Amino acid sequence: MSRFNNAKSPPDWASLVSADKGVVDRRLFWDKEVYEAEMQQIFSRCWLFVAHESQIPNPNDYVTTYMGEDLVIVARQKDHSIKAFLNSCSHRGNQITFSEKGNARGFTCNYHGWSFGTDGALKGMPQSEAYENCPGFKKCDHDLKQVANIESYKGLIFATFDPDAPSLKEYLGEFAWYLDIMLDNDEGGTEFLPGCTKSVIKANWKFCADNFVGDAYHAEWTHDSGANAMLGQSVNYGNLKDAVHISVNGHGWATNMDKFGNLRTLGEPLIEDYYRGRWHDVVDRLGAARARMVGAVSSVTMFPNFSFLPGQNTFRVWQPRGPNEIELHTWVLVNKNMPQEVKDAYRRGVMMTFSPAGVFEMDDGENWEFSTRSNRGYITRNQSLSYSLGLGSEIQSDELPGRISKGLINEANHRHYYQRWADLMTAESWSNVPDRKESGEC
Amino acid sequence: MLVADSILPKLGRQYVDLNREQELKRFLYHESRLLDAEEYEAWLGLMAEDIHYWMPVQENRDRKDKAGTFSATRMAFFDDNYQQLKTRIDRFGMHTAWSENPRTRHVHSVSNIEVFETANPEEFEVQSVFINCRNARERDQDIIMGRRVDLIRCVKGDYYLAKRLIILSHNVLLSKNINTFF
Repeated sequence: MSRFNNAKSPPDWASLVSADKGVVDRRLFWDKEVYEAEMQQIFSRCWLFVAHESQIPNPNDYVTTYMGEDLVIVARQKDHSIKAFLNSCSHRGNQITFSEKGNARGFTCNYHGWSFGTDGALKGMPQSEAYENCPGFKKCDHDLKQVANIESYKGLIFATFDPDAPSLKEYLGEFAWYLDIMLDNDEGGTEFLPGCTKSVIKANWKFCADNFVGDAYHAEWTHDSGANAMLGQSVNYGNLKDAVHISVNGHGWATNMDKFGNLRTLGEPLIEDYYRGRWHDVVDRLGAARARMVGAVSSVTMFPNFSFLPGQNTFRVWQPRGPNEIELHTWVLVNKNMPQEVKDAYRRGVMMTFSPAGVFEMDDGENWEFSTRSNRGYITRNQSLSYSLGLGSEIQSDELPGRISKGLINEANHRHYYQRWADLMTAESWSNVPDRKESGEC
Repeated sequence: MLVADSILPKLGRQYVDLNREQELKRFLYHESRLLDAEEYEAWLGLMAEDIHYWMPVQENRDRKDKAGTFSATRMAFFDDNYQQLKTRIDRFGMHTAWSENPRTRHVHSVSNIEVFETANPEEFEVQSVFINCRNARERDQDIIMGRRVDLIRCVKGDYYLAKRLIILSHNVLLSKNINTFF
C-alpha cells in the first residue's frame, strides 16, 4: 500500500496530495517520516512568525519562541534592529535561557558559563585561558546560530533559516495587501496585548492550520454551543453572496465580507462601536472591499502555521511537536490607538471565546485530536480525506488579488494550502517551487 | 506579581477559630462536589454577585525580573465576573456542546485549607490547594493542579465566594482545554 517504499529515491510526497481532485492522504497527519521531512522541507525553509515588534520595544528586550521545533531567542539590538538565533549553546547544546520574555544584556549558559551577547555572539567563558592554547579555536566560530534572514511586515516579525528563501515581500506576495486589513486599518499601527496563552493539543499541526485557512463550514456545527452561549442563537452565516476564499502562495483568507460578523461573537459591544465609529476612516485607508473584511466572518492561515481570526483578533502559532502534538501559542492583536476600554474588551472577549477555557475553542481541540488519533489504525490511515467542497468555484476578480474562489462553504483554500505543502515537500530548492498564481483545477 | 507575594501571610493576620474554619472547609468540599457532579448552576449559586474569578497565565520570567510571573493586564485563562461565568456554564448545558458528550469524569480534590481573618469581620481569606483529575473518552486524562487564594463572604449565615485567585502550576497548559472550574 505504501506509495513511498523505494529506498533508493526520495519519497514522492506530492503524490499524497491530489489538490485538483480535493483528495489528501491521511498519512500527512500521522507518519513520522512525513513529519521529519516537513521539518526539513517546510520549517527550515519557510518564513515563520516569531514575534510582534510590540513585544520587544526596547534594546535588550527579548522573547523566546520556536521555529518548527528549534528553540529561538528574538532580541532587540542596541541599534533597534532585531536578531533571532538558536536558544542552544554552541558548546554542548544546552538551552540558554528559560525565560519567555525579559530584558537582558546577554545570555549565559548554565552548563559551563559560556556567555553570549544579545546579538548571539560568544563573548566569553570561564577559564578562557584554557582555550588560548587550543589549536584553531576562535570565539567567532562559536556564536549562536543566527537565522538566515529576519524581517518585519508592519509589526509582525518573521524569520527563515534558509539563506536561499525569497524575501519576505516575495513570500507574502499579494497576501501583504490583505494583511493590511489587520495591520494598517489605523494610522497608529498595532500591538499585542501583554501575555501569551499556551496550551497543548494532541493533534497534527496541519489540521489546526487547515481549519483556519478557510473552514467556515465547521463553525455552524462545531460551534453551535459556543454561538448560543455568546449570542443566544446558532451560527448564522448571513448572506453569503460576496463570500470568497482568497489564496496566495498557500496563505489563505476566507471571508464573508460582512463587516462585523466575527467581532460580534466576542460579546463586547464596545468593539463593534469602535469599528462603526471608524468605518469611514477605515474605508479611506483600505477601500470598501478590505474595510468589509476587518471584522467579518472569516479566518486566515499564513503558510505554514501562523493563523488568526479577523475581528476576534486572536493570533496564533501552531508549534509542531511531533506528528501528533502541537503547542498552541496565542496572542491578542489590537490597534495601538484603541481606547483602553476597547483593548480591555478584546482581552475579555478572546478569553471567553478563543482561549482554552473559551466557549469556541473548547470544541475545536477535541475535533483535531480525534481527527489525528483515528489514524493510529493502519487501514484507517490508508484511506484518504475529502477536501472537495467548491471544486470549480474559482473566479476572476478585478477587485481582489490572488486566487479567488466564490463562496464561504468551500475548501478551495485548503486545496491551495496542500498544493503548496506538496510543492515544498518535493522541491529541492526554492527555484523549483512552482509559481501557481495562474488559475488551475483547484 | 509573584506567587510568593500572593500566598505568604500578611502582617498580623490571624487564623479564624476552628468552628469557622470547619464551616469554610465544608463550603469548599461542597463546592468541589458540585463541580464533580457537573452541577454548574448550583455552583454558580455559591458565587457572590461581585465575584472576581481569576486564573492568570503564569509566565517563566527571570527571578530578577520585577515584572513578576503574572499581572492583571496580562492574559488569563479566566478573568471573569458573574455574567462571564454564567456564559461558560450556559455552553456546558447545551446538547451541542459536543466535547461534553459523553461526560467527563471529574474529580476535584481540595487540601491545605487555611482560613484567615480579614479587616471585614464577615469576609475570610481562604487558601487551599486543588487537584483536578479529569478523565474522558477512553484514555484521555489531564491533571491540573494549583493553589487558590479566596475571599469568602458570610451573608446571613451563608457563604459566598467573592474573589478567587487561581495560581496554576502550569506555564504551558498541558491540556487542550479547561472544561470545568477550579
